[in-house]
Amino acid sequence: MDARLQVTDGSGRKVVPINKAIFLIGRRTAADLQLNNADVSREHAEIAQDGARYLLRDRGSRYGTFVNGEQVTEKTLEHGDRIRLGRTDAIELVFMTDASSSTHISGLREIGSDADLRQMAAILNGLRALGSGRVLEEVLTLVLDSALDVTKAERGFIMLARPDGELEFKTARGRGKITLPGTSFTTSAKIPREVFQTGESRIVGDLMEGNLAGLHDGTIAIGIRHVLCVPLSVHPMAAAPDQGIAPRVIGVLYLDGRERSTILSQQTRSSLEAFATQAALAIESARLYAEAAEKARIERDLLVAAQIQQALLPTGSFETPFVDLAASSLPCRTVGGDFFDYLELGARGFGFGLGDVAGKGAPAALLAAAVQSNFIAQAPVSSDPADTLTRVNTALLRRAIEARFATMFHGVVDQDGHLSYSNGGQEPPLVLQANGGMLWLEAGGPVLGLLPGATYEFDSVLLQPGDLVVICSDGVTEARNAAGDEFGRERLIETMAGCHGGKPETVLERLFEAVRVFSQGTPQGDDITGLVLRYRGAR
Amino acid sequence: MQIDQKMVGDVMVVTITGDITLNQGGDVLLKDKIQSLLQQGQKKLVLDLGGVAYVDSAGLGQLVQIHATTKNQGGSMRLANTTKKLKDLLVVTKLVTVFDSYDSQKEALASFS
Repeated sequence: MDARLQVTDGSGRKVVPINKAIFLIGRRTAADLQLNNADVSREHAEIAQDGARYLLRDRGSRYGTFVNGEQVTEKTLEHGDRIRLGRTDAIELVFMTDASSSTHISGLREIGSDADLRQMAAILNGLRALGSGRVLEEVLTLVLDSALDVTKAERGFIMLARPDGELEFKTARGRGKITLPGTSFTTSAKIPREVFQTGESRIVGDLMEGNLAGLHDGTIAIGIRHVLCVPLSVHPMAAAPDQGIAPRVIGVLYLDGRERSTILSQQTRSSLEAFATQAALAIESARLYAEAAEKARIERDLLVAAQIQQALLPTGSFETPFVDLAASSLPCRTVGGDFFDYLELGARGFGFGLGDVAGKGAPAALLAAAVQSNFIAQAPVSSDPADTLTRVNTALLRRAIEARFATMFHGVVDQDGHLSYSNGGQEPPLVLQANGGMLWLEAGGPVLGLLPGATYEFDSVLLQPGDLVVICSDGVTEARNAAGDEFGRERLIETMAGCHGGKPETVLERLFEAVRVFSQGTPQGDDITGLVLRYRGAR
Repeated sequence: MQIDQKMVGDVMVVTITGDITLNQGGDVLLKDKIQSLLQQGQKKLVLDLGGVAYVDSAGLGQLVQIHATTKNQGGSMRLANTTKKLKDLLVVTKLVTVFDSYDSQKEALASFS
């Protein structure tokens, strides 16, 4: 394979064949490789072919000739050697002989000197050591400071994509580990956006800052700036490069400075791209960690809320001289929108209620607490159950939350077995009579909290000793199995048919068990709440 | 959930297909739709619910809400093709008297003339 030089400078990259016995490199027009740079002498160096060897000789240049960072006067070139002419690496020459004609050398191999390599290794190690537990802000700062070190740029910033896909300015740093205000970069939005959208690095030379007035910060010089902007991309895990799954661009790293030589060099760009890959991983894991921490916090809050909600409910079993009851509520999420409550109403007897707020989770739980406390406050001062529901409806409408409502059944049983009740839009409860009969408690009115001036009727039935009142929320009748069928009223009746004369605990357990067996592990779609009350007879 | 609309004479017929539920955001979609129709000056509305398989409690609340909104703005909303399931729900929640409900779009339209 023929020897050649890969030439990279601010204007791009080209490959020049070394096709003469003496190949002259210099600033003069007659040179075989003419390079226009102040550091390059008119006749700077030559490459002489000597059999199979290629010999690089300095021709007494003013600023010297370097191979892989070492100054040389004469040296035999090896494939991959990097030649620098003069003090800066604005122009990079790579000597090549191998068949592997790759002009794209990725990642760390681009880094020229051992010093650079050590520096990169240190930085990458640092980033790996960051792990996931670090605060995002710290990671961003470290990434920027390291990037400034690697590139010798003067200042830089990081923008990250928000969930809605827009880029958001996060952190800006200047050399010397100082934080800069975001306003220092008034004219720089266009390049980051392009890099973000295309996922391709951009190098821009001679970018004139448009808004000079915004740059009074003493550390920032006004004038020509050179910009290097690389995407922060996260590569999909376990995806081989050839599977064609595009990396996800999570943001951009933007750097600029006045010194053209370093910022515009291909080497810097490659180093930075390799660095950005590691940085993106560190940033992403810090972000995921923060999200997970926030999620955990919300979950803790919800668990506390669930404890409070359970504490707001009375105990699941209770008895007076003439009634006993069992009740239970199973929220489908951490907290639920169902509730039950009961209280002794003196001469009027024993009051009890079960309600269900539209919706699920935390919003429903808040409203359920409001409905429950209204119920407990209104029941003792009401003349009858319908009056109680009318008052609760009015109270809820004072602070109506659009389209949110509650349903609720409320009954009062006295020691002689007179059950008066009303129902705000709840499925009618069932009375399992001790003699084997069943009846539904149908009287009532519309749901609570939606209709101003809604009227509620109440009705009375006379309970016999051993009669059971079974109330459940629609989470029972609307429980679904894998086939999508609902538990339904018919199954409720079937389940309850064998429960006449039973103890409240037993009947409630039978009901919940029937729902469990029916739904066969299908996730519970709604809160499930039941209350079974038994009239024991006058004492 | 999908919402289609067409004018029949001076009545706007809004046809809903799919579930009206909180999870799918159907309740809010529906509210926004009706609100924009009212703003455009449509006072006579027929809500065709023939393609609605399931309405959850949030969806039901929203139906009542838009019914009230329509009424408050001097309009009138009638339901057409309510499924048996929805009818049962309206009966249980005692909201059946709130709505003017018709078995077909034709009957609902005729009720306006």
